[in-house]
Amino acid sequence: MTSSPDLIHELRASRPSAPVELRSRIRAIAVEQERTDSTALWAGRRFPVRRGMLVAVPAAAALALASAGVLGLARSDSPQAVGRDAAEKATLSAAAPETAPGALDTSGTRAQTPTPTADERAQKASATLTVEVKDSDAVSRAAQSALDLTRTLGGFVVSSSVATGDTGSASITVRVPVDKVQEAIAGLSGLGRIVSQNVTIEDRQESIDAFVRQSRSLRAQIALVTARLESETLDAETRARLEARLKNLKTDLLVARRSLGTLRAEARMSTIQLTVVTPEALGAVAPPSRIDRTIDEALNVLAWEGVVALGILIVLAPFALVAGAVWLGHRLYRRHEEDRLLAT
Amino acid sequence: MHAVTIDAPRPHIATTPSFAAVAEELLDDVYGYLLYLTKNWAVAEDLTGETFEAAFKKWRRFDPGRGTPRAWLLAIARSTALDWFRSDARRRKREERAGSAEQRAEIDAFGESFSAELAESLQALSAGEREVVALRIVLDLDGEETARLLGISVTAVSTRLSRALSKLEERMRDHDVVA
Repeated sequence: MTSSPDLIHELRASRPSAPVELRSRIRAIAVEQERTDSTALWAGRRFPVRRGMLVAVPAAAALALASAGVLGLARSDSPQAVGRDAAEKATLSAAAPETAPGALDTSGTRAQTPTPTADERAQKASATLTVEVKDSDAVSRAAQSALDLTRTLGGFVVSSSVATGDTGSASITVRVPVDKVQEAIAGLSGLGRIVSQNVTIEDRQESIDAFVRQSRSLRAQIALVTARLESETLDAETRARLEARLKNLKTDLLVARRSLGTLRAEARMSTIQLTVVTPEALGAVAPPSRIDRTIDEALNVLAWEGVVALGILIVLAPFALVAGAVWLGHRLYRRHEEDRLLAT
Repeated sequence: MHAVTIDAPRPHIATTPSFAAVAEELLDDVYGYLLYLTKNWAVAEDLTGETFEAAFKKWRRFDPGRGTPRAWLLAIARSTALDWFRSDARRRKREERAGSAEQRAEIDAFGESFSAELAESLQALSAGEREVVALRIVLDLDGEETARLLGISVTAVSTRLSRALSKLEERMRDHDVVA
């Protein structure tokens, strides 16, 4: 009778050994392997896929983070420059429709503040300025300084409204001589941080010239009509008609002179609208620090990287699923086949 | 159930040994495994040669961190044997379709190291049963290592081994009675 321990003992005792011929053949293979190894350039070097993934995945993540950091740092410029650029762009776009054809419309920083190129031509210059000061007290001081500056430059105040309190603000409209406008803008800009600035210059010379020509023509016609009325013997009807015409000509001349006066007044004095606000009144939050902006930009870049990665994943997912299903099916088939083969 | 007492597994080789050393040490294991699987010493010899040739080509990719050289070699041997089983099955089908009356002389022999009773009893087992006997009893692989190699659970390994030993024991008992 054979028991399990006996059977196991017998199985182990009859453990087969490879024949001598086979051993010699395997030794020859081993010798060949060692000879090849000693001459192979990449002998003993392995690049396992799993280990490679362990390195590649963190490396890709680190690269994504690093690129986000670098781009974030590169895109985070100084807050003043960013704010000013944005404000100027907004002002330019807002001012564009108001600009007359042929007029010069410029805006810029204090150093680049344009001046009306008056020369001999009559031009109308107007400016709109918004400056930000730190608090309500500063608003009052700035408003007073603006009024003082206007008077110093020979101008006058058209309107002034100053509100103090938690959110102080001031709105001042002044007129200054056109040849002092550059100085006025520079002085008013220095009252605080420029939030927006818009300078518009419109040419008035053509209109003035036209009114001058019209006035001359009217005066000549008036002189002619007056001479006829004084020198000739006229019938009552003709005299009445000429007198009526003379009256109309004088009226037209008066209108033309008034318009000319208005145009010349506009060309002599420039209008400047100044708004002084506090950050609270402006509704603006404190400009973010460079670190905050860097983080924001980096997060934006990371978000975009995530979007790209997600897009790739969405595109590849169906293929991966199909490949996985094929692989699983093949594996199951092989397992079934192996079981069948080994059942014999 | 059988009370199977198995010696502790051999200590694994920690560092990458030379291919020659591995071949020298594990040749008998591979040959024995293939002999159990194919129950044919001639085929086992051929497949052992093929196994080491394949191992020779793949040796640079062997990663000692992922398993022992023995488990690696036995996996190659198993794959080689399965290929042989497939081609043998196709050959048999072809012969059946051709209606060949000539029966090929099967050399189902385990060799001289086996007693006639044991060899005959092993013939009665399926290849899968012989395989698990070879791995667990003859080569002393533990349950987990065997399960990993066969791609089945440890429980399935135990069940298959128990069934194989029962059948083997029964066959051996029959021989004893006859004797």
